[in-house]
Amino acid sequence: MDTTTTQESQYARSLIEASLDPLVTINTLGKITDMNQATANITGITREKLTGTDFFDYFTEPQKAREVYQEVFAKGSVADSPLTLRHKNGKLTDVLFNGSVYKDENGNVLGVVVVARDVTAQKLLSKYSLSLIEASLDPLVTISTEGKITDMNQATVNITGVTREKLTGTDFFDYFTEPQKAREVYQEVFAKGSVADSPLTLRHKDGKLTDVLFNGSVYKDDRGNVLGVVIVARDVTDQKRVATELIEAKVFAELATEIAEHAKSKAESATRIAEDAVKAKQQFLSNMSHEIRTPMNAIIGFTKVVLKTDLTEKQKEYLSAIRVSGDALIVLINDILDLAKVDAGKMTFEKTPFKMSASISSMLHLFETKIQEKNLQLVKEYDKKIPEVLVGDPIRLHQIILNLVSNAVKFTTSGQITVKVRLLEEKDENVRIEFAVSDTGIGIIPEKVQHIFENFQQATSDTSRLYGGTGLGLAIVKQLVEGQGGSIQVDSTIDQGSTFSFQLDFQKTKAAAELEAGLVELDSEIKNIKVLVVEDIALNQLLMKTLLDDFGFERDIAGNGKIAIEKLQTKSYDIILMDLQMPEMNGFEATEYIRTKMNSKIPIIALTADVTTVDLAKCKSVGMNDYIAKPVDERLLYSKIVGLVQKPTSKKLADKDKAVIEANTAKCTNLEYLNKRTKSNPELMMEMISLYLEQTPPLIKVMKEGLQEKNWKALHAAVHKMIPSFSIVGINIKYENIAKNIQEYSGTETQTDQLPALVAQIENICTQAYKELEEELDIIKNTN
Amino acid sequence: MQKENKIKLFLVDDDALLLKSLQLQFLEHADFDVITFATGELCIASLTENPDVIILDYHLDGIEANAMNGMQTLDNIKSFNPDIPVIMLSSQDKIDVAINCMHHRAFDYVVKSETAFMRLQKIISTIFRYKKMEKELSWYMDRM
Repeated sequence: MDTTTTQESQYARSLIEASLDPLVTINTLGKITDMNQATANITGITREKLTGTDFFDYFTEPQKAREVYQEVFAKGSVADSPLTLRHKNGKLTDVLFNGSVYKDENGNVLGVVVVARDVTAQKLLSKYSLSLIEASLDPLVTISTEGKITDMNQATVNITGVTREKLTGTDFFDYFTEPQKAREVYQEVFAKGSVADSPLTLRHKDGKLTDVLFNGSVYKDDRGNVLGVVIVARDVTDQKRVATELIEAKVFAELATEIAEHAKSKAESATRIAEDAVKAKQQFLSNMSHEIRTPMNAIIGFTKVVLKTDLTEKQKEYLSAIRVSGDALIVLINDILDLAKVDAGKMTFEKTPFKMSASISSMLHLFETKIQEKNLQLVKEYDKKIPEVLVGDPIRLHQIILNLVSNAVKFTTSGQITVKVRLLEEKDENVRIEFAVSDTGIGIIPEKVQHIFENFQQATSDTSRLYGGTGLGLAIVKQLVEGQGGSIQVDSTIDQGSTFSFQLDFQKTKAAAELEAGLVELDSEIKNIKVLVVEDIALNQLLMKTLLDDFGFERDIAGNGKIAIEKLQTKSYDIILMDLQMPEMNGFEATEYIRTKMNSKIPIIALTADVTTVDLAKCKSVGMNDYIAKPVDERLLYSKIVGLVQKPTSKKLADKDKAVIEANTAKCTNLEYLNKRTKSNPELMMEMISLYLEQTPPLIKVMKEGLQEKNWKALHAAVHKMIPSFSIVGINIKYENIAKNIQEYSGTETQTDQLPALVAQIENICTQAYKELEEELDIIKNTN
Repeated sequence: MQKENKIKLFLVDDDALLLKSLQLQFLEHADFDVITFATGELCIASLTENPDVIILDYHLDGIEANAMNGMQTLDNIKSFNPDIPVIMLSSQDKIDVAINCMHHRAFDYVVKSETAFMRLQKIISTIFRYKKMEKELSWYMDRM
């Protein structure tokens, strides 16, 4: 038994020793009688030293410990009394003090057994949670089932302004602005177990309000009995402020948007008004220009006609002034129309095959007179590598170069104008060509260079006064170049000259050029062309008549398309000049009728006042061969007529003409005029020739006698009478001029010493003419 | 101006060739009744035929020194009937000659040149336009 007892006692002992909680036995006097290893560890004092010492000395609060110890004796045991043990090094250990008395067999109390449970870890945890709770800025409150506050955190204290002590046990709902509503929410928590984001307002004791979102849930004990409610009241003051700010910002933004929209619509309507105004202005300019152009055509046309007649120097000067001003005006009007077209987006570019080199040469030809007048040199450098025929818009190209060259001529007083055409690059499909017009003129100051391409801008405000012009030319050039996808540059040095260069793309083609753009020189041999002019305006009719008479062509006039068709049915013509806008039947209808109903291939040239691409396309589609813009350029008209008439009428006619010409070269007379006048009527021809033969000898006689007898008056009269006959029988104009000289000298009785020689020349030519005409008369007599 | 309303035109020039040439042109281009005279005297003698227009050479006394000159002829025509329009034709391009003619109540003055015929034609059409207007005007005046 002893052994067993000893064994059992040893086992219990080892259990006690293994415990991590301090286990101590204390006698009734409070002295330690025994302890386990854990006690030694926590106090840091050896067993030997601990035994017999006062147990209470090892606690931080010895008095409290003694009271608990006494409580054990009084009650027989004590449970979970919180106390703190101190290590000899000062380290504290929180423990829960559990103790119970132990007695002998007789029931006498021998001492107390104390177990001090180490709760340091547990305490730490709970402290940690508590600090978390305390750190929260949101009020956290626990409320009992009766609605009294049981606990709270610091945030609650801050927001209510009431101390913890005063808060505890008070009615939670008193701190809200709406206690009833708070109570309802609280009751809801009990009913549902929890509530989320209920908006309420807390009141500070000083009156400051805090908006909160009320979240709560019940807490229960282990058995599920509801103990109370934990409430978190989230402070939403900032959120509310931010929300208010956001709302305000939103309102402002909406207001701003409204204002912006208003401003935008205002700006839009202003833009529309401005655009309308610009459109109206352009329309007005365009209409005015068009209206002005028609009478201008007549003015310029007739001025040119009058200039060809006998005029005194003064008259010539005045008429030249009219012509120059008229030309300038037409240029201006055309420029305005062009710009209006560009602005209205109506400027389109043709794609027709043309011969670049010939086209440019013929255009430069137009400047020859002007360049000679100013004693300048015109140099053309043409790159031979450029393909002969290219596809592009020759008219616009002309217009560009024409503008640049005329500027160059205008601003250059001495030196030369160089027109360079260079092949920049050649691809399979197209070529890029650079055109450069250089002069040695006044140049442009650098500050003005960027402005010269703007409408109505010139390099200096004096430019217009000194050199004329409107400042539209370069604006148009730029538009035309850029409209075709090219670019234009200017390089200028003041007093040295300027170079304008632009680059354009042209398509390559294998097709032949449609029209020879080259101008045919006025060729006195080409006559006998019968022209039908279809034109409704009397002035224009007259002008065309005059021009065609000058060319020596026969012409017939029809007032509209209908009359033209009637005339075509009875008579044959070589070519038709067709105005587009006419009453009864316009040019398009007439052409269509001629081509489709009459099946005639007679060449038709359209006469148009306003060269729009639309019109041109229409001209082509109805079968017109070419067009010419009014005011009609004499040389252009001539070359177009000759070009079109000669092509189809083949060489037969030309050969025949040639033979006639060769035969005539030796002769001093030419019966072409008479043939035309008399329509080759032999009787009339004979009559006319006879008249000449009759009339001339007496005149020669009077002339010779007048010279011999120095009867200047008789000489004057005779020669005067003779002059008209020269042109009728086709004597070279040279002799007519000689005769005029005689007339002048004898009339004024000056330089009479030169008269004999002049008179002799006239006598010779008249005698020769007399012989030739006698022969002609015989031929006509014999052939008829 | 359809039926017997053919315009009667007197052409007076001592240059037979030019006279003929003008006559041919007038016949060709306009349906005129053209009567030609080599001298002013002959023209005056025929005024009773009531010509609508007279085209008169300024230099009628070129060869025949004693012949009536253009100006005298003009005066004679005007004293016979001031309403007959007379267009003077001359190779003179001196402005004072033209002005002188106008003072003698010539309707217009044309210098002989390639375009002379065209100008004559134009002047003649102007004359008839004037006449028509005058007629219309007097018709309206009468009615008023």
